[in-house]
Amino acid sequence: MKHLASHGSLRRSLRLRLLAGTLFWIAASIIAAGWGLGNLFQRHVEAQFLAELKTHLDQLTAQLTLDEKGRPMLALPLSDPRLSHPYSGCYWQVDEIRDSAPAASGLLRSRSLWDDVLTAPPDTPVNGEIHQHRIVGPKGKVLGMIERSVRIDDTPDGKPRSFRLIAAADEALMSAPVARFSGALWLALGVLGIGLVVAALVQVFVGLAPLRKLHAALGKVRSGETPQLDGDFPAEIMPLVDEFNTVLAQNAEVVERARTQAGNLAHALKTSLSVLANAANANISASPQQNELARLVIDQVGTARKQVDYHLTRAQAAATTRMPGTRTPLLPVIDGLVRAMQRIHAERALELRVVPMPETLAFRGDAHDLQEMLGNLLDNACKWAAQRIDVSAGTEGGKLHIFIDDDGAGLAAEQRDAVIQRGVRADEQVPGSGLGLAIVDDLARLYGGELTLEGSPLGGMRSALTLPAPLR
Amino acid sequence: MRILIVEDEPTLQAQLAEGLGAAAYAVDTAGNGIDGHYLGDTEPYDAVVLDLGLPQMDGITVLRKWRASGRTMPVLILTARDGWHEKVAGIDAGADDYLTKPFHMEELLARLRALIRRTVGHASAEISCGPLTLDTRNSRATVDGQSLTLTSHEYRVLAYLMHHRDEVISRSDLVEHIYAQDFDRDSNTVEVFIARLRKKLPPGLIETVRGLGYRLTTLQ
Repeated sequence: MKHLASHGSLRRSLRLRLLAGTLFWIAASIIAAGWGLGNLFQRHVEAQFLAELKTHLDQLTAQLTLDEKGRPMLALPLSDPRLSHPYSGCYWQVDEIRDSAPAASGLLRSRSLWDDVLTAPPDTPVNGEIHQHRIVGPKGKVLGMIERSVRIDDTPDGKPRSFRLIAAADEALMSAPVARFSGALWLALGVLGIGLVVAALVQVFVGLAPLRKLHAALGKVRSGETPQLDGDFPAEIMPLVDEFNTVLAQNAEVVERARTQAGNLAHALKTSLSVLANAANANISASPQQNELARLVIDQVGTARKQVDYHLTRAQAAATTRMPGTRTPLLPVIDGLVRAMQRIHAERALELRVVPMPETLAFRGDAHDLQEMLGNLLDNACKWAAQRIDVSAGTEGGKLHIFIDDDGAGLAAEQRDAVIQRGVRADEQVPGSGLGLAIVDDLARLYGGELTLEGSPLGGMRSALTLPAPLR
Repeated sequence: MRILIVEDEPTLQAQLAEGLGAAAYAVDTAGNGIDGHYLGDTEPYDAVVLDLGLPQMDGITVLRKWRASGRTMPVLILTARDGWHEKVAGIDAGADDYLTKPFHMEELLARLRALIRRTVGHASAEISCGPLTLDTRNSRATVDGQSLTLTSHEYRVLAYLMHHRDEVISRSDLVEHIYAQDFDRDSNTVEVFIARLRKKLPPGLIETVRGLGYRLTTLQ
């Protein structure tokens, strides 16, 4: 389970993926570089070591001669001072070969060998060839050694003699610099690696910062704070932001167009209904008897009007409740409706009071739907109030609560639910019961809220509307 | 009382004109926003019935232009667009009332009466002046409870004078408020209506203010 989860998070997190990838490549490159450079240096040091041995061997070859008694000797001492310093690690030795087999080891030796004699493996290189061996030398040190055979024809007794010339050096002379170099190399690579890891971390966090910003901007759209993704984004993300904004705008445009068309249809229908109703009314006035048709027309026009209103409101709300990024400040809507109510109910000299509320109160949803709900509730309150109507609002637990109180006669508790007619379809409504509250309840439910009717502290009815508030 | 109807649906316009005419209003009609705006801007109406979905210029724009140029006559919006956001927009553009289609003619008439009364500052549907009472709900005038028989034009003159009780009303004002625009106007006929009204009313109720016009008053 734990493994699965961590695997999943690696797959899902862009940051972890980038970091894991970068760290892997940093580690791989540093190891490869360290190994490669170390090898290269070692080979270089080895070559130098051999070249040095070869120089000693060549000098030895050049200086080897026989004295008048036929003993081998050097015409001049070899130049490297290490060869005369005891146990310095650099040695040479001359053995005599008789009958193609080594004999008389240590005929001539470097001073550095002191009392020791190099014991070379049995080998007789063909004249001119150089052979290489590893041997154990003085004080148990491992030595790298090269040898060649030399034949001297010009001897005092005229018999040609063969010698085995050996140059050797302690391998520590070679491995010490390699070890020192490796130490320095890995230290430098380690510092480089740490630097790269820090740079990668910074790059991932800085590089992914626009994504975090995008996330925040999307959150704002969802909570309804902004209708579009706002802010500057890098060129790689901007096309995504632009596309998203275009989709949002198109979405809003489609909804708006559908609304307008539904509105136009309703307008056209209702104008015709008006003509029908007026004609029927005129007919009834002209001949109060024998006009069942006219009464039927008036009746049906009323029903048709309610149907159009009901379904138009529902269709508009259904289109907008799913729209992201809609947020409607409450106070301007209430103020506008109160102005309208004061005009429309000017006859009644009502006292409409908006209890002071924070200007930040807002509804997560469409302005038209909020106006529709509050408009119907306020209109009802204005119709039934004796004189006074109070509007108050607040938020609690992510919900917006709006209360509309009046000082009218109110409703008995058992009547309240019947007035709202929960879940009853428009065409099943009792004629004349008024769809206002049913529409409010319906809209509220589409938004996941609700409408309840209660007794008001003012003495009449309280309409309590609960709606979603913006996320932040 | 003179009313302007701006409505583009011809049948409905005719029904409105007939209904308002039957209630003794002088009625002008316009079938589009531009004509409607022009009439409302140049003629002195006592009230306007305005549709919102008008060709050429929509009703809200017409209303805003009137209010911007200082026309204060009461405007009742009559529209099928009955969303509250539309009502609020209409009221904020300067409308005084809002009625949605389909509507009952009686309700329209009641709202118009109320609007006109409110505009001139009367609280009740009945306006009295001494023994004379005008009931705007049924276009009836009574003197000491006795009903008066009035022609449509006589009623319009009397209603206008009653609404502007105690004010001096010029003859041309009367002409403008009792005739529709297309009517063949003759200010001399106003004198004829005044003379007839004086015969039917208690003496001294309608004063002639020389050089200015007429005044309906119980003040002396």
